[in-house]
Amino acid sequence: MSLYDDETERYLAEFRPRAVQPLEPMPKGRDAPLLWVAAVVAVVLLAVGLLWFAHREAGRLREAANIQPRKVSATRAWRYESTLALTRLALEDGERLESLLAGESRKELPPCRGEQSTLSVLAKE
Amino acid sequence: MRTTKLTPDEVRSLYKMHGAALAAYACSFGLDHASAQDVVQQLFLKLLEGRPLAPHAPVAYLYRATRNASLNLRRNLRRETDLHTAELWFTHPGGGHDEVLNLQNALKELPDEQREAVFLKVWSGMTLQEIADVTGTPLNTVASRYRYAVEKLRERLIQRFRR
Repeated sequence: MSLYDDETERYLAEFRPRAVQPLEPMPKGRDAPLLWVAAVVAVVLLAVGLLWFAHREAGRLREAANIQPRKVSATRAWRYESTLALTRLALEDGERLESLLAGESRKELPPCRGEQSTLSVLAKE
Repeated sequence: MRTTKLTPDEVRSLYKMHGAALAAYACSFGLDHASAQDVVQQLFLKLLEGRPLAPHAPVAYLYRATRNASLNLRRNLRRETDLHTAELWFTHPGGGHDEVLNLQNALKELPDEQREAVFLKVWSGMTLQEIADVTGTPLNTVASRYRYAVEKLRERLIQRFRR
């Protein structure tokens, strides 16, 4: 580097960058406790929600597992039970399921057997 | 690249040594001095909070980070500092307001790499070899950048310089 550039460099070095304020860390988290409380509340709410949901589902499963055929055949509520219950019933007691389905189908379909059935009446005519 | 966390004392020491030069450097991207100080403070506060950085090149990292943050802020603010009414980000023992403005304007006209070389060499006190090491640039390239920068500055400042 030429002498002239050295001189330029010395001239440049005469300038000093303007001073800056001292480095001061920002006060750490006045809002931190609030954030913690919000986080804890959120976690608690989530846990309560999960427990409630699990409890409800467990109740449903228990109910479905305890379906009694006579109760089912006595009412039409079986329609609204889950397929899980019907599947379970089919696995445990196929005959009961058959009778249940037959009983329910008779309520829905016109009678086609017996002396007073629609088919018999039509046949006589 | 291996990184490490600086201790708070190391961060404060770096700030003391390079904070003012970095703020001036940020100003050279068109920020006012208050915004430039904010940029530099934020950068160092992140280091204080434990952000890791490459241990062998903290100063180079600081300059690069300052440049990026300044350009981002400048883009967001969408404002330009008027070259003629710009505030001063340097001081001069002679107190010459025009002299300082002259230098600032000349610095702004330099390409980024040349300006960085000048700041690192003149106001952060690094040798060309150190600059080459920390920026990962060949020494010859750094020397050229610095030489061209000084030539341009001399041309710009020559009238004042000859007095």
